Amino acid sequence: MEGHAAPRSMAAHRTASVVAALLGSLFLLFLVAPIGRLVVGGGKSGVGELFTDTELRSSLWLTAVTATFAAAVGALGGTPLAYVLARRPFRGKAVAAAILDLPLLIPHPVAGIALLLILGRESVVGRTLLQAGIRVAGSPIGIVCAMVFVSAPLYISAAREAFARVDPRYESVARTLGDPAWRAFRRVTLPLSARGLIAAAVVMWARAVSEFGAIVILTYNPKVVSVLSYDRFTGFGLTEALPVAAVLSILALIPLVALRALRPDRGAGTDV
Amino acid sequence: MIGVAGLNAQAGTFRLRDITFAVPAGQYGVVIGPAGSGKTTLLETLAGIIAPQSGTVMLDGCDVTNEPPERRRLGIVYQHGYLFPHLTVADNVAYGAADAKYAEQIAERVGALALYGRPVRTLSGGERQLVALARAFAVRPSVLLLDEPFSALDPRLRSRTRRTVRALHRELGVTVLQVTHDFTEAGLLGDVAILLDAGRVLQFGSPDGVFRRPATPYIAEFLGAENVFAGTVRAFAQTAADADVSGDSEQLARGHRSLEFRSGPLTIYTVGDAADGSTHAVIRAEEITLSRELNPTSARNQFAGTIDEIATLGAFTRVTVDVGGVSLVAALTTRSVQELALAPGSRVYASFKAMAVHLC
Repeated sequence: MEGHAAPRSMAAHRTASVVAALLGSLFLLFLVAPIGRLVVGGGKSGVGELFTDTELRSSLWLTAVTATFAAAVGALGGTPLAYVLARRPFRGKAVAAAILDLPLLIPHPVAGIALLLILGRESVVGRTLLQAGIRVAGSPIGIVCAMVFVSAPLYISAAREAFARVDPRYESVARTLGDPAWRAFRRVTLPLSARGLIAAAVVMWARAVSEFGAIVILTYNPKVVSVLSYDRFTGFGLTEALPVAAVLSILALIPLVALRALRPDRGAGTDV
Repeated sequence: MIGVAGLNAQAGTFRLRDITFAVPAGQYGVVIGPAGSGKTTLLETLAGIIAPQSGTVMLDGCDVTNEPPERRRLGIVYQHGYLFPHLTVADNVAYGAADAKYAEQIAERVGALALYGRPVRTLSGGERQLVALARAFAVRPSVLLLDEPFSALDPRLRSRTRRTVRALHRELGVTVLQVTHDFTEAGLLGDVAILLDAGRVLQFGSPDGVFRRPATPYIAEFLGAENVFAGTVRAFAQTAADADVSGDSEQLARGHRSLEFRSGPLTIYTVGDAADGSTHAVIRAEEITLSRELNPTSARNQFAGTIDEIATLGAFTRVTVDVGGVSLVAALTTRSVQELALAPGSRVYASFKAMAVHLC
């Protein structure tokens, strides 16, 4: 009996592998094919347009700058929060963590509407800021606000994980060696989690670059790249939108490559 | 000085309960306890890493219960070293030191200087412990907390490092509290032994006292005493003249009595101040000697028996003797076992002095 069971289970195992490989390939194809088609169809003209199309160029520049600002704001505001969530037990921690993830779950146009209610011209905050000469809706500031709102949760959860990977005892040792909490954080925890924090910022930056729904409601003009591609598509059709979309896809490779390079090497921070 | 009074602390689901003990200034305290007894939690509470729920921690004469770790003037060395992996070995040692030269001297003393050129990642567990020791000593702490600091060292290096730490402890006048599950380490190093079990202090005092006079049969077994018997004790009719050990008369003069302890087939003679009634007798295996013939002169307690089992551990051998159905365990040198030509089934006499019997 057992003599028969072994080959049969091996055959079953082989069949399962083949099925899994087939399904995996199909799925991969589904993910890669549209982008591949996009790049093949519009990549050449898109790269060409980079030199001729000033609107595309300034839109790309605007996207990069606002996303960088958003990532900086996210890192500044999110790092202490991520640290507290990773290290300190407190009442209502689970609730706080859930609230922080909320922007990831609500549809992005809804997020845009919510932001407009708070920061729009009709709102108290928006009006006050406008009187001070700061325009939020319809300006790059609005873009940054929308980007931060939808992408900061990604930074916070990734940064929280980066901190959690660093054994708190390193910090304890630094404290007993004379460092106050802040200095121990700066000299030990920060360097040990740096790769993870930068990777978190890159993820946030990439998410900010690809944001459309919230931005389009808060700031249609000036146009970030995602809004521009949508604008070209609705205004001029697929052929006009294609080069912009292709350029955006190619540029998306930059953060992807950066993330590979930054992937925390095994044992970093947990190495004892 | 380390003084802990009524300390309660919680780390995760683990609790320290009502911990009270003291290690006088410049002395070497050893906390002994099995895995999971709360040894590391205790050290972290003393270091200020875990905030106690109640009780006080005194270090060097100051109440530091509410002080942060950086203001307690102590060093902690974890079992795994916790060297900062992003720094060099030299920067690790000098991390908290006010004087880099001094840090280097300390590193040389503990044998970490030779590791200065090596990346932290390539150090073995034992090498990490040496560097961590140097790093802790380099800040000139008044109290040093050591969590199994020699566990990853090979036996030769372990005894050398033990000696170095003991020497530095004396020279610098540092009060040390070391955690270990190794009873011999406690005996070798400690001025004060603290027994910890399930988050409570069972007993504390001089290691010798704790080992020879455990407060309860549980502690006796916990400390590896093989011969623990339940039985009844009553005052023995005869006088001090019957005593067989020089110390006896002194003990008897202090109001101690000659006692007779009965447990099954054993009748054991001892001295002490125990009241009549049921109790336990503890005899450490090292106190029992074996002979082929009845020894007329020496020990008060002699029992004829048959050897059940012989277990050799290097230089020492544990011999289990069956005395009328009761097992007595004797620890002998392997050499004397060979000289006596002992083997399972051999008829022997097991003897021990009245003073070797501890009632608790």
